[in-house]
Amino acid sequence: MSTVTVILSAIALYLVAGIIFTIIFQLKGLSKIDEGVHGSSWGFRIIIIPGCIVFWTILLRKWIKANKEIINPPKEHA
Amino acid sequence: MGASYLAVGWNRQKKIYDWLIFGFCVLYLATFVVLTAIFNPDYTFETVLIRATSTLAVIILHVILSIGPLTRINKKFLPLLYNRRHLGVTMFCIILVHGSFSILQFHSLGNENPFVSLFTSNTHFGSLADFPFQALGFFALIIFFLMAITSHDFWLHNLSPKVWKTLHMFVYLAYFLVVMHVMLGVIQYETNPVFIIIMLTGSFTLITLHLIAGTREVKKDNVIYKLKQDGYVLVCDIKDIQEDRAKMFCVDAERIAVYKTGGKLFAVNNVCKHQNGPLGEGKVIDGCITCPWHGYQYLPQNGQSPPPFKEKVSTYDVKIEGTHVWLNPKAYAEGTERPGAVISVVNAE
Repeated sequence: MSTVTVILSAIALYLVAGIIFTIIFQLKGLSKIDEGVHGSSWGFRIIIIPGCIVFWTILLRKWIKANKEIINPPKEHA
Repeated sequence: MGASYLAVGWNRQKKIYDWLIFGFCVLYLATFVVLTAIFNPDYTFETVLIRATSTLAVIILHVILSIGPLTRINKKFLPLLYNRRHLGVTMFCIILVHGSFSILQFHSLGNENPFVSLFTSNTHFGSLADFPFQALGFFALIIFFLMAITSHDFWLHNLSPKVWKTLHMFVYLAYFLVVMHVMLGVIQYETNPVFIIIMLTGSFTLITLHLIAGTREVKKDNVIYKLKQDGYVLVCDIKDIQEDRAKMFCVDAERIAVYKTGGKLFAVNNVCKHQNGPLGEGKVIDGCITCPWHGYQYLPQNGQSPPPFKEKVSTYDVKIEGTHVWLNPKAYAEGTERPGAVISVVNAE
């Protein structure tokens, strides 16, 4: 297997993981990381899908952080 | 942002802008196809499409990159900036068509995966005449893709303005890759000088515009304010600032916009929280400082965006002595209320 094939396969795997993440994230996580999502349009949710697939690791980190803040709110919000 | 997101915040200006983009693209593509059919009737449909989309994308890319410096040189170009992201997404869609058909035509007819073929069919990296220029175009396409998918304000907010801006500054790397892609491709395949003329003219225009705009910015930033007292520096005369407008001053590396509105002077940080637009080049609309780039607004007395928006910029102290405007470059925390400086009738005369 050539280096190019290995790199392209790794990218493909990353993007497949992104697609799976995006489905779950759109259903359960999106509204937790950004209050601007509340009351947003379907068009908005569709338009951000490619970005969610590519930047899923960043969004996952924000989602985990948001969940932690719900369980242990920061002092100024407690 | 504090309000709910929409896919596109349509208004009359954006619709007109988009219709103009659409009309131009259709007209260009139709003209290209007709001219090719007349002068090169043996070209296949795929070849015509690849060439038409490549030249159209290069033209739009030059327009996009010219808008920034043009607005610095003359405010009349600001309407072009307002909806530049739609122009960028349009360009990406055109480049996507170009890239897809190129991969289909040149790399999908063998047994190899087309993407693997793109990087392995030509490995003459040491040769200028045979350089694998298609790979350069592919990398440019990836950068334009990342820019297009993050063009919504949701990404500006969630990637952070700093990361977002850095990502979008990669457009200059993409431009360099496009230039090399076109030039090396022309060397290998093209006899028609039109492609090289478009590229050279565009590059020369872009470099000139950036140099002119950059020189002006440096001049503004390098103004030395000699008169100082109690932390304040003398920046201008009251009459130098028009009503509901501002003047920008760079003091101690702080870019500050001093606005005149409602009989007072207020000072806020010049950099808009949205996309670093120059607030000092905007104007007061409905009692709010309005960024000339995308219309983000801030209250002059505290630098806060009116509810439900939550952006805040730093505020500064400003005072008037006689007709002279004195500015203190020490920033208050973002969103801090300041009284401003009252312009009395005596001052104004």
